[in-house]
Amino acid sequence: MIFSDYLSLFGAEALLTGLALLIIVLGLFMKNKNLMGCLSLAGLAVSMYLVMAADQTKGAVFYGTMQIDALSQFFKLVFVTVALIVVIAGLSRYKNHPGQDEFYGLLLLATVGMMVVASSMDLISLFIGFELASLATYALAAFDREKQNLEAAMKYFIFGSVSSALMLFGFSLLYGLTGTTLISGIADAGLADMGPVTLIALLFVIAGFGFKMALVPFHMWAPDTYTGAPTLVTAFLAAGSKKMGFVAAFKVVLIALIALRMEWYMAFAILAAITMTLGNLVAVWQNNVKRILAYSSVAYAGYIAIAFVVVGAAAGQIDGFSIAANGLAGGLLLILAHAFMKTGAFVAAAVVAYMALSDGKDNPDDIEHYAGLGHRAPITAFCMLICLFSLSGIPPTAGFVGKFVLFGSAIDAGLVWLAVLAILNSALSLYYYLRIIKYMYVNEPAGGKISEPKGYVLALVVALVGVLGIGFFPQVFVDLAYRAAEVLLL
Amino acid sequence: MISNPISLMIAVPLIAMVVAFMTKTRSQARIVALIGSLVPLAISLQMFMEFDKTSEIMQFVESYDWVPSLGVKYTVGVDGIGLPLVLLSTIVSILVVVYAWGENTRPNQFFALLLLNEVGVLGVFTALDFFLFYIFWEIVLIPMYFLIGIWGGPRKDYSAIKFFIYTHVASLVMLLSIFALYFTYRTPAGGRTFDMLTLIQATSDSTLFSPMLVNVIFLGLLFGFLVKMPAVPFHTWLPDAHVEAPTAGSVILAALLLKMGGYGLFRVIVPMMPNVSEHYVTLMAIIGVVSILYGAFLALSQKDIKKMVAYSSVSHMGYVLLGAGAFTWLSVQGAMFQQFSHGLITCVLFMSAGTIGHTAGTRIIPELGGLADRMPKFAVLMMMGFLASLGLPGMCGFIAEFTVLTGSYATLPVYTLIVIFGGIVVTAGYHLWAMQKVMFGPILKKYLDLHDPHSYELLSMSILVFLIVYFGVNPAPIMDIMGVAAEQLIEGPVMTLAQMGVV
Repeated sequence: MIFSDYLSLFGAEALLTGLALLIIVLGLFMKNKNLMGCLSLAGLAVSMYLVMAADQTKGAVFYGTMQIDALSQFFKLVFVTVALIVVIAGLSRYKNHPGQDEFYGLLLLATVGMMVVASSMDLISLFIGFELASLATYALAAFDREKQNLEAAMKYFIFGSVSSALMLFGFSLLYGLTGTTLISGIADAGLADMGPVTLIALLFVIAGFGFKMALVPFHMWAPDTYTGAPTLVTAFLAAGSKKMGFVAAFKVVLIALIALRMEWYMAFAILAAITMTLGNLVAVWQNNVKRILAYSSVAYAGYIAIAFVVVGAAAGQIDGFSIAANGLAGGLLLILAHAFMKTGAFVAAAVVAYMALSDGKDNPDDIEHYAGLGHRAPITAFCMLICLFSLSGIPPTAGFVGKFVLFGSAIDAGLVWLAVLAILNSALSLYYYLRIIKYMYVNEPAGGKISEPKGYVLALVVALVGVLGIGFFPQVFVDLAYRAAEVLLL
Repeated sequence: MISNPISLMIAVPLIAMVVAFMTKTRSQARIVALIGSLVPLAISLQMFMEFDKTSEIMQFVESYDWVPSLGVKYTVGVDGIGLPLVLLSTIVSILVVVYAWGENTRPNQFFALLLLNEVGVLGVFTALDFFLFYIFWEIVLIPMYFLIGIWGGPRKDYSAIKFFIYTHVASLVMLLSIFALYFTYRTPAGGRTFDMLTLIQATSDSTLFSPMLVNVIFLGLLFGFLVKMPAVPFHTWLPDAHVEAPTAGSVILAALLLKMGGYGLFRVIVPMMPNVSEHYVTLMAIIGVVSILYGAFLALSQKDIKKMVAYSSVSHMGYVLLGAGAFTWLSVQGAMFQQFSHGLITCVLFMSAGTIGHTAGTRIIPELGGLADRMPKFAVLMMMGFLASLGLPGMCGFIAEFTVLTGSYATLPVYTLIVIFGGIVVTAGYHLWAMQKVMFGPILKKYLDLHDPHSYELLSMSILVFLIVYFGVNPAPIMDIMGVAAEQLIEGPVMTLAQMGVV
């Protein structure tokens, strides 16, 4: 294989890695670092193009440890998009900030790590990508160097390290059992006949990924970290890094461990049910908007986990393949939708925090500061409104399309109880989203109109276009999701 | 002859909504709203003229692929069930804009939301694809939430959220049933479809839909529609929403949003009735009768005239359910006409309550008295509305209720007699009592300097009263199309669009 072949497959990753290193080195010498944001933006835009251009390619490299297919491209698209929106907002947030080169450098490295996970077909390369993304985000979580940032980052780091350890232990058991780290190799090794030790491996793998996906009971770090971290980093964590957990879990659980279907199927059903219910119930009582969004993120992990259950339940049924494909496509659509709407919502929260801080208020994320936002910052409020409606699954938005396909597939798979629970949860979540909306549009404004920073506005508009684009023209995205789903099932 | 009239009718208020939202002053906003609702009215009248009134097939059908891999299409069309309600929606929408001509608080948002609401209801009454239907069904919640939440009364926060979540849960239950239909049925080509008529027709195929399954699906759909109507015991969101909503919001809520539930009955429930358990007829009859009686008694006991009117809606919508449950040609036709006539009458009632509220400063019946002395024109219009609502012959309410009761007697004699002997007297009672106390008798001193309300309020009420009397004397133009549709519902299986030859 010659170099140019690699380039067409891994051009995006190579570009971003080079760019990240370049930015860090340049940052040492340059006084005015505002250029860095523009460089990252350009780099991300080009890599987005490269990812989309390689949409139809399929190929394995590095001795089969990395694979380019519809699934990997789907997730890379999600990661690059989230990074892109965050960088656009960062242009305003970290303008003239002395350490902004580090912010962009770390963000790009984290994105590369996630993209590596998306293509990995081997436990080792998957783990390396995982760690690259995690280490970069640990540092990012403390980026503003305030007390709450440090606490958030510390918590994130400790929980993250434990989860890596658990995951690695699970991997080592799998390697010991099967003698290979290739995911396809493990799938062919006949794990089902290997006795109870496979269950221990399964347990550790699920626990390790569960932390990243923020499934209850492994979610404890998420609300604290999401609340404490700088808001743009939170957006990146909730919308990007969490999805890395999902793609890794999809690959390992649905391909490598498919033989243990009966074992993980029920586990995921219970995890999904508990996660969405707990996330939504706790969110109802919060007054800090970032915390509300954090718990809604936990709830979303529960919804997306339904995809695992559907795949598990579908095997062995007539039409099993199409049921499973439906469920996975629904999960993927919801992941894509969540990336847009959660990033949008967090960026809007960042605008409000910026506004509250410039008003000299403590506690910048308190829901009180959203009073009259529709009047004070109309664009932010409107984008937040659409993102919140999308999160609660009101049509015609991205969140509705995702939930529609996913919950529908649960019914198709015969999991009526799970679908009913998910739908009731969806209705419950409406309560706390409506509460924010009420503050924004019904309550009297607490101050005058503010000028919304341009970077934030642009980021919000990109998110809004994504949310409504998927809502109004679902066909393209549904096709993408189905093609990606089929990779996992074939 | 306009091509794609339905899409145009939905698109115009949608665009006008965006424009109205951007406007800076009240006068700009209301002009945009007026134009944005005048165009759909013109289109719907044109459609009414061109509509083939003797044919039971779908007309003005448009169908485009939207999400082919999920079997979702953008399909719209109207028949005798949908067209009268489309007409009602466009008439009511423009009259509400006229009535709210003097709105001062955030007028651009107010009129934009009225237009968005029109988009939603028109979509519901014309959509022929469950996906599309559900989208419009849910869109309607958004403007109403804001109308209550921003312009509402003292307990607006509670009412707005209760309204949204209560009806949203009901929609979700309906959605579950839609999923069950969707996943059970496969098109001859092996694909899936959300086409409403195809799926409803398919429920008669007992090899595909087991009796158990079809009964459960039916129950879920029925629940979704009953909450929207609303029928006792799922009516508790309604009084809260109505009392707190601004007058324009109440009018739309009662005249159009409740009709969505009734429309669901005729479009989905009635065609499925031959395929489900007979116990559902009893269930619908009982809920219908209880709604009529309980709603009437609750109305009788209210002190707030707006709350009284709200409960009278529960009572009147009970007739729709009774007529649909009785499943005779006449009763179904009457129930459809009850929807249309209640839509007109309740507008007058809520406008009256709203006008009394903002001129006299209170809506509490015992605190009012003798207003007719100072508000003679208003008193005439309000009296006409109240008489129509209690079912005075010569007005459209009488025709509708008379037809429902006559038609229902054939299959549900006991229930019908209970309504006749229990409900009608009470209904007359609370209307006359309220009217007597509020309007007539000696005028109270504190009301001596009142005068007739703004001319735009009177204008919009008088147009409604004119229509009420007109359709009371000459119901044929509307009733005939309903009759054709009702006959088709009772006699034949549902025809799909392909069988009708319209796509």
